[in-house]
Amino acid sequence: MSPTARPTRRTVTGLGAAAALGLLAACGRPDDDTGGEAAASAEPIGEGAATGSLTVWAMGAEGEKLPELLKGFQEQNPDVTVEVTPVPWDSAHDKFTSAIAAGTAPDVAQVGSTWMAEFVGLDALEPTPEEIATDDYFAGALESVTVDETVYGVPWYVETRVVFYRTDLAEQAGITEPPTDWEGLVELAQAYQSQADATWGISLQPGGTGSWQTVMPLIWSGGGNVVDEAGEAFTFESAQNEEALSYYQSYFTDGIANPAPADGTTEQDFVSGAVPMFISGPWMMSAVEAVGGEGFADKYGVFTMPTKETSSSFLGGANLGVFQGTENRDAAWKLVQYLSTPEVQVQWFAQSTDLPSLQQGWEDDAVASNEKFEVFREQLDTALAPPVVATWEQVAASFDAQIEEVCKNDLAPADALAATQSEAQGIGTGA
Amino acid sequence: MSASTTATGPGGATGPTGDVGPSPAAARPRRSRRGAAEARAGLLLALPFVLLFAVFTAWPVLQSMFMSFTDMRISDIRTPFAVDFVGLENYRAAFADPVFRRAAMNTGVFVLLGVPLTIIAGLAAAVALNHGVGRLRSVFRIGFYSPVITSIVAVAVVWRFLLQPETGLVNTVLSWVGIDGPHWLGDQRTALLSLVVMAVWRNFGTSMIIFLAGLQAVDPGLHEAAALDGAGRWRRFVSITLPSIRPTMLFVLVTTSIGYLQFFEEPFVMTSGGPLNATVSASMYTYNQFGFGNYGVAGAMAYLTFLVIGIVTLVQFRLMREK
Amino acid sequence: MLERRSPVLTYIVLTVFLLLVITPFVWMILGSLKTQGELLQVPPTWLPDAPTLDNFRRLFDRPFGRFFTNSALVAVAVTAGNLLLSSMFGYALAHLRFPFKKLLFVLVLGCLMIPGLVTFIPQYVLVVNLGLADTLPALILPFLVQPFSVFLMRQFFLGLPRELLEAGRIDGVGEIAIFFRIYLPLAGPAFATLGILTFLGSWNNFLWPLVVSSSESTYTLPVALALISTGQNETDYGLLLAGATLIVLPILVVFLFFQRHFIQGIASTGIK
Repeated sequence: MSPTARPTRRTVTGLGAAAALGLLAACGRPDDDTGGEAAASAEPIGEGAATGSLTVWAMGAEGEKLPELLKGFQEQNPDVTVEVTPVPWDSAHDKFTSAIAAGTAPDVAQVGSTWMAEFVGLDALEPTPEEIATDDYFAGALESVTVDETVYGVPWYVETRVVFYRTDLAEQAGITEPPTDWEGLVELAQAYQSQADATWGISLQPGGTGSWQTVMPLIWSGGGNVVDEAGEAFTFESAQNEEALSYYQSYFTDGIANPAPADGTTEQDFVSGAVPMFISGPWMMSAVEAVGGEGFADKYGVFTMPTKETSSSFLGGANLGVFQGTENRDAAWKLVQYLSTPEVQVQWFAQSTDLPSLQQGWEDDAVASNEKFEVFREQLDTALAPPVVATWEQVAASFDAQIEEVCKNDLAPADALAATQSEAQGIGTGA
Repeated sequence: MSASTTATGPGGATGPTGDVGPSPAAARPRRSRRGAAEARAGLLLALPFVLLFAVFTAWPVLQSMFMSFTDMRISDIRTPFAVDFVGLENYRAAFADPVFRRAAMNTGVFVLLGVPLTIIAGLAAAVALNHGVGRLRSVFRIGFYSPVITSIVAVAVVWRFLLQPETGLVNTVLSWVGIDGPHWLGDQRTALLSLVVMAVWRNFGTSMIIFLAGLQAVDPGLHEAAALDGAGRWRRFVSITLPSIRPTMLFVLVTTSIGYLQFFEEPFVMTSGGPLNATVSASMYTYNQFGFGNYGVAGAMAYLTFLVIGIVTLVQFRLMREK
Repeated sequence: MLERRSPVLTYIVLTVFLLLVITPFVWMILGSLKTQGELLQVPPTWLPDAPTLDNFRRLFDRPFGRFFTNSALVAVAVTAGNLLLSSMFGYALAHLRFPFKKLLFVLVLGCLMIPGLVTFIPQYVLVVNLGLADTLPALILPFLVQPFSVFLMRQFFLGLPRELLEAGRIDGVGEIAIFFRIYLPLAGPAFATLGILTFLGSWNNFLWPLVVSSSESTYTLPVALALISTGQNETDYGLLLAGATLIVLPILVVFLFFQRHFIQGIASTGIK
């Protein structure tokens, strides 16, 4: 690869982030402008209120609502002007990379959770100063902002995936408690088909773009992983991974999930009962309720991903990052700090229904009161972020293609994993 | 007089020299002052275009060409000159990539089927509107053009519905005559064909309005004379209309081919390249490579596409005997 | 004029095709009046169950006037520029001899064949280096001349007779004047077509304005629409269709304008 003389800081920590966390938590104090000991890799935030001007980029709905949220920050720091530019999610990644290329990146921005490693690799983001405490974040969320044992930015909000199921149809099929393990999930799906007139027991993506987000949790839940502990090499081939992929394949070969589903019918199928189970995130709640109409909220429930060794799920959401080259570093980090307090996170939830990334934020009634959110809360404890590797998008695409072969062409899982492994090695980790 | 049928380069100028007053056309060509005035005028007319073009298009193109011969990745965008020159390595890698080869084949099929169909549909519509319809012409024109301007979201929803295996309109109609329709978008054998049909539907409007413009320049006097001689409508179409619109035809052929060789939206929105790469196009695959940050490789793929487009265009120019 | 055989049959056939072709367009407009719940239904509904103007109301929560003005200014400038500059160059390519003519044509045509993706970032960096980032000129200048336009005009002018040129020279008209006074007025049909196509391309342009603008004040309509309707994991279809419907209206206006004012009858082309 190219022999530029930049130091590489892009090896990745997987579950070893927990250890790093401990070290970080030992220094610095939360929410304190007077700054603690100097961090090894990040300078402390200056004292006093923020001044100057800041440009902030935020996507979609967050971009629209952020100015409202920042009024509190404005009151605390009257001498600073914050300009929020809302950016569409569509092609946002292209906009960022172009801006980084041309040097027109903003001071602070919302950064998609899968972009962190890539941007760090571009030397685009600043490491997080010590003053911002990171011990209260969900483990998986913190992982997603940690590259090579250094934390860049902070998690802002999170989302994770759980199993949505029709409770009324399940009762009809004689099942009153949601399943907890792999076998239980298969049983429920088959019960739907045999006793509740469902065409398919569960909606699963048979490979193709993004299917790794459903398969990886099963791999994790079985104790496997696709990168090693240090995040330096890919480990697609393993007995646990093979078991998980076989389990996934069995849904298609046993006629439980549709190997050729039509696009965009998930909500409709769920409401009609044709396919009464699927795996997705919190936004689907309002979607199915919109299609299902009044009273539908009582006809379905959610439960955490089935357990093999653990119950794991995909952790997504977005992070906040400060860009290198910002001319107002202090104000930028103060803004990030402000958005990272539990109170503001709760306030944000009220405005946007984005789930707080701080565990303390969940203790507030507004969040805790929703029964279905309880399940998401539980899942967040064990949800994991995808490998924080700069080349992950490309490796994942390769994995998606192999998963498709497994689901549609009956390719043996072992072969699929071997193929993915060799392609992934060819791609490298971008280090 | 009719419009010239075959276009060759401008012929020599005959006639008086200079811009002085009228004098009878001389038999012998006097080129020098005429030629100089012509050349000056030509360059002057060309200048604004060429200048803007050089700055905003040609220069970036050169840069990107350079990029395709290096191992540039997204991590190098701040230091674009600190990359390794790898010569034709990216090009070789593209050839060796089975997915890219598949994408190239898909693109080829798409073009071979889609371009003729689009041109035929566009020409038929243009002729029908030009000669067969008096009033309501605007209505039809806009109507046939509407697929071009409809939001791709609406297009996708409606076409997905049409092609759905169980409840889709196409299969429902087929079942009335006892045919069990396939899973159009989900079956590897039919997915690409479905996208071809969708693309023809989407794009024939553009060909139509270009043909409409070209047809305007056809002299009706020729048609009248031929009709008086007893030539039928089809005969007149083939012998008069078609030759008269040859430059237009070349234009439509070239631009439609270029467009289809770069087809992107249909597979991107409808199938994401699936199932199992049955509909991935060269452009889409290149776009993915850009997304992954493999700028050198993506550049090579783009320029390979360019080479193919160039060859195809050249052949088309030759076929239509243009320069 | 040409005889028409059974015009009724022609009309019927054309109408049937028209109805088939126009369906998604009509669905788009109907869809803008539906709720998200209804839009997610399969099979898609046709007439809205409970028509609502809510989507349009939400559209105007944002400063749409600003976005519209930006889009309009850019599209008009790009269209006008293309029509003028491309017809000049296209005419020269078709009927005049000058040095480097063939080379220039090949180069320009060549760039038509290069996938736009590949020049995107170099073009953006160039614009930034020229100090034009986040300005309207940055949205206009790179598109002011396009290979497609000059190619179209060249072909069109090739279809016009050379005799006019000869006659003009005999009459002592200057070369440039020949273009402006004799050939340009005949370019109506080509202008109509090129005008519509250029306007459409500029109006719907999404990626470039997205990348070039770093503040909302320079956003164009497609960017604004994507902003409010596409989420991280879900899309607000009602908003999207309402926006798409509104965005398409000016295109229809421009289409009608060009078709009416520029398509002349055969009789008035002045060819003797």
